[in-house]
Amino acid sequence: MPEQFRTRNCVVLYKGDTFTVGVNSAMATGGWLGGQGVRWVPSTKDEFLVGYTDGEFGGFVLWGSDESSDKFTAMTTNQPSYRFAVMGAGGWLFMTSTYEQYTYASRIGGGPLVPLVYNPNDRLRYSLRGYWTNEDEWTLSGDPRAPNENFTGFVVQTPTAVTQNFLTVQTIL
Amino acid sequence: MSEILRTRDCVVFYRGDSFAVAASDQMLQGGWTGGQGVQWIDSPLDEFKVSYSEGIFGGFALWGSDESSDQFVSFFGNQIKYGYLVFCTGNWFISTTSFEQYTYASRQAGPLVAITYAEGQKLHFSLRGLWTNEDEWTLSGDPRAPNEFMAGIVMQRPSSLNNNYLGIQTTM
Repeated sequence: MPEQFRTRNCVVLYKGDTFTVGVNSAMATGGWLGGQGVRWVPSTKDEFLVGYTDGEFGGFVLWGSDESSDKFTAMTTNQPSYRFAVMGAGGWLFMTSTYEQYTYASRIGGGPLVPLVYNPNDRLRYSLRGYWTNEDEWTLSGDPRAPNENFTGFVVQTPTAVTQNFLTVQTIL
Repeated sequence: MSEILRTRDCVVFYRGDSFAVAASDQMLQGGWTGGQGVQWIDSPLDEFKVSYSEGIFGGFALWGSDESSDQFVSFFGNQIKYGYLVFCTGNWFISTTSFEQYTYASRQAGPLVAITYAEGQKLHFSLRGLWTNEDEWTLSGDPRAPNEFMAGIVMQRPSSLNNNYLGIQTTM
């Protein structure tokens, strides 16, 4: 039985560094989950702007843009409306549901979906859509930037029924 | 138009770790700008001492030794006089003028060619301890090459929008 309350996409056990940043149009329109990886992007204004990462180093977004825990509160869709997010960097310890659950090959190959197996101490990167993963999707997708050596964290606790399928991550951003 | 007041060499948006350390004789004679990369050096005294980084990981100096913002205040010449500086490490979000503006190759032989910075690029310290996206160990044939001491990433490229300051997320 889970011993922790996991009521958000990203549940923080130890807090690292945080910074309020602007989000680009793609994120404001498409929304995001708590724990989503982000990268710095250019802006036409004097502001610090992030967008979904595609494997590049940067940080992650603490709160999702439309989480169930924010419903019926003043926080409802506050972030996409005002185009901001709280970015985390540095050393954090958190549990998140925002990780790749299936292998890259099975996700793009038309199935069947093959679960990704995580082990404690696995090194983590961001996937091409900015989720935490232990696969190098730059290499798997033939991206010219491969191999992806932008390590962003490692596995503390694997996702199981005991952890409500949350992945616990120690970040090294 | 710049939305942020940038009146120092190194403007801080998020503060990481800081520590007062002794500055080397070379730094005390030559001075430094805020955001200057530094590395640990040996000292005959029981003190923690730094000097200009030559590409090695360490930290950066928060305040320059003689910044215009310190003129006519009690802080004027303070660091040089007492032989110290405020050393910064860990995760900082800063905006600084202490970065290489021209490529290493063009600085050797000219004419000067501007370095193009882009958000997300990895940063090292140059051979004189300024932030750069070039690996000057490799470019100069330094036997320690390649320089894998990643000191930060570009948060905001220098442009007229930000008074040509480089925005950096440090990762030290």
